[in-house]
Amino acid sequence: MELVEKIFETRELNVNMGPQHPATHGVLRLVLDIDGETIVKVTPYVGYLHRGIEKLGESMSYFQALPLTDRMDYVSAMANNIGYCIAVERLFGIEVPERAKFIRTIVGEMARIANHLLWLATHALDIGAMTVFLYCFREREWILELFEMICGARLTVTYPRIGGVKNDVPAEFLDSLWKFTEEFPTRIPEYETLIDQNRIWLKRTKGIGVISAEEAVNWGLTGPTLRGSGVPYDIRKHMPYDAYDKVDFEVPIGTEGDTYDRYRCRMMEMRQSNNIIRQCIEKLPPGPIMAETPNFTLQPKDKMMPITHPTKEHAFYIIEKACKGCGMCLRACPAKAIFGEKKQPHKIKQDLCLGCATCYVTCKFKALTIVPGGKGFPEEKLAELAVPPDKVPEDIKKAQEYLVKHFEFIKRGPKVPQGDIYIATEVPKGELGFYFISDGSGKPYRMRVRAPSFVHAGVLPRLCVGHLVADVIANIGTIDIVLGECDR
Amino acid sequence: MKTKETIRKIVKTIFFIEIIKGLALTLKRLFSHAVTIQYPVERRKIAPGFRGQHALAKDVEGKAKCVGCGLCATICPSQCISVGREKGKVSRYEIDTLRCIFCGFCVEACPYGAIVLTENYEYSGYKKEDIYLTREKLLFNWDKFMAGKKGEEYFKRFWRPMSEDFETPSIQAIWRGRH
Ligand code: SF4
Ligand code: SF4
Ligand code: SF4
Ligand code: SF4
Repeated sequence: MELVEKIFETRELNVNMGPQHPATHGVLRLVLDIDGETIVKVTPYVGYLHRGIEKLGESMSYFQALPLTDRMDYVSAMANNIGYCIAVERLFGIEVPERAKFIRTIVGEMARIANHLLWLATHALDIGAMTVFLYCFREREWILELFEMICGARLTVTYPRIGGVKNDVPAEFLDSLWKFTEEFPTRIPEYETLIDQNRIWLKRTKGIGVISAEEAVNWGLTGPTLRGSGVPYDIRKHMPYDAYDKVDFEVPIGTEGDTYDRYRCRMMEMRQSNNIIRQCIEKLPPGPIMAETPNFTLQPKDKMMPITHPTKEHAFYIIEKACKGCGMCLRACPAKAIFGEKKQPHKIKQDLCLGCATCYVTCKFKALTIVPGGKGFPEEKLAELAVPPDKVPEDIKKAQEYLVKHFEFIKRGPKVPQGDIYIATEVPKGELGFYFISDGSGKPYRMRVRAPSFVHAGVLPRLCVGHLVADVIANIGTIDIVLGECDR
Repeated sequence: MKTKETIRKIVKTIFFIEIIKGLALTLKRLFSHAVTIQYPVERRKIAPGFRGQHALAKDVEGKAKCVGCGLCATICPSQCISVGREKGKVSRYEIDTLRCIFCGFCVEACPYGAIVLTENYEYSGYKKEDIYLTREKLLFNWDKFMAGKKGEEYFKRFWRPMSEDFETPSIQAIWRGRH
């Protein structure tokens, strides 16, 4: 008898899933307590992809930290960039030109389609529908190629800028995108043919991971994951940013709050995004694409000095009488070509000078000047030819001013007002929020990111307990997480 | 009415209608052209302005445009550019490609138009040194990928912002209506 009991003894099993598991969408680690096939307990462990983006952001100027946001949700980097830029713009009260707003809305919705396509592809693949994967990637590729056309990168785009966007969109882009929006609605039914009614798909998704509207709100779910439970919360509708208040669209919601409804929500959302893109293309107004805010954007290159007046032919010269000996130029010179004692007039050693104009834009006392065409002249001749700064021609002065701003922007970071702000945007995954505290230096004192994936990963135990082991996969897929964003 | 529904349901269940529909789609696709690319043989068309390996620009006389001001090194978010100067010349200009994130900020920061990102993306190597970019390699890249018209075009279109970005340019893409 004892032997029989020993043979048939049952106990809970502790299984480690991930961090390197193809179905955990990155490096999520789950520790599962299972009783037979049933899940008893799920403990998610996150942090395997932690790169300290929030902390890194504090050591960079607002402009510099933009590429970091690409690396959060790399599946829809464009949406992250836009969220970041909007937060910084609101913090400093920058008004973005209309055209840039429309372009951002277009690319943001493209990112949404691209994200949902990847989500559908991997989600279906996890559940066992291999074919959908290939179909989705066909269309996603088209979008990525369009991204490449406007900014030169497919995934980590860094396309929006604080105050606008980097490049204007070319006509071919609009044409190709229009063609896409015409074809895409005929492609969605293809995916649906493959899985919508498929009995295996229904068995794997209907009634799995059910969460009621109230509970979903309490868990802090956002985006399609929340809307699948029937809560019509969409930041694009409730707190419109960019051009979302100028386009018509609906917010699709589900009823049951199960995996199938969330799937339906995202499919409908792709159709809505398609509509938004079409409206935006039609309404795209002519106009500037960058806001004129000298403190926050780079200066126009064609008005700046090396382009208008090539510095290579000029010599730089310190007028002895005007020099206060503050040493600013000495410290700034990258070639260490300036010599001098404190409070004494400084001197530039011409044979060491690169002609980079750094000193020219640093001096606050109008002691530094240029000798047009004076490269290679001896010291005495330079002294003779040097134009006093107040006699420098107007056009050079103007160009110099631009260059000064450019140097200050990059070297010191812009001067910014103090304040703090929380701004949320609707990224494909949910509500992406940026919280900034600005202490007036060019860098954020604190940058905090509210990542939807992080919040969604927390709800996994709630969704999985009581279901079968196989449903863990479906549940990870349905909350649409990317661990780059979750861990930051 | 109800019986009709039931019969339809039974037929659906027995004959795997939805699965057959799916398979029909797959079969149809079997005869359309392939969307995949046979990579080393075929190559994707790279869009102009692609953010690939760097190059240091040369002027019309064939001299390097870079003066060594170090702005690119300052703005680089991953701090992978290092510039050295000696006797009024740029003696060293190195980019640690392994750290570069190809954001293109160095291009935007350089007021001299001295650095560009080429469309070269095939530069793997067995050793770190193979893809470490020195000044010589960067200048060579310019000759190989960017010299002539292409470089000019690059600066015209992708070296931003220009003053036309802050005002309404004369030629701008807007929607021209359905064709
Ligand atoms: S920054 Fe101007 S005043 Fe100060 S040491 Fe240099 S030249 Fe003289
Ligand atoms: S131009 Fe540049 S290298 Fe020459 S002295 Fe001024 S800062 Fe130094
Ligand atoms: S590439 Fe441009 S920014 Fe960088 S050091 Fe050379 S001139 Fe300065
Ligand atoms: S592309 Fe970006 S990361 Fe790479 S060298 Fe330039 S600034 Fe640095």
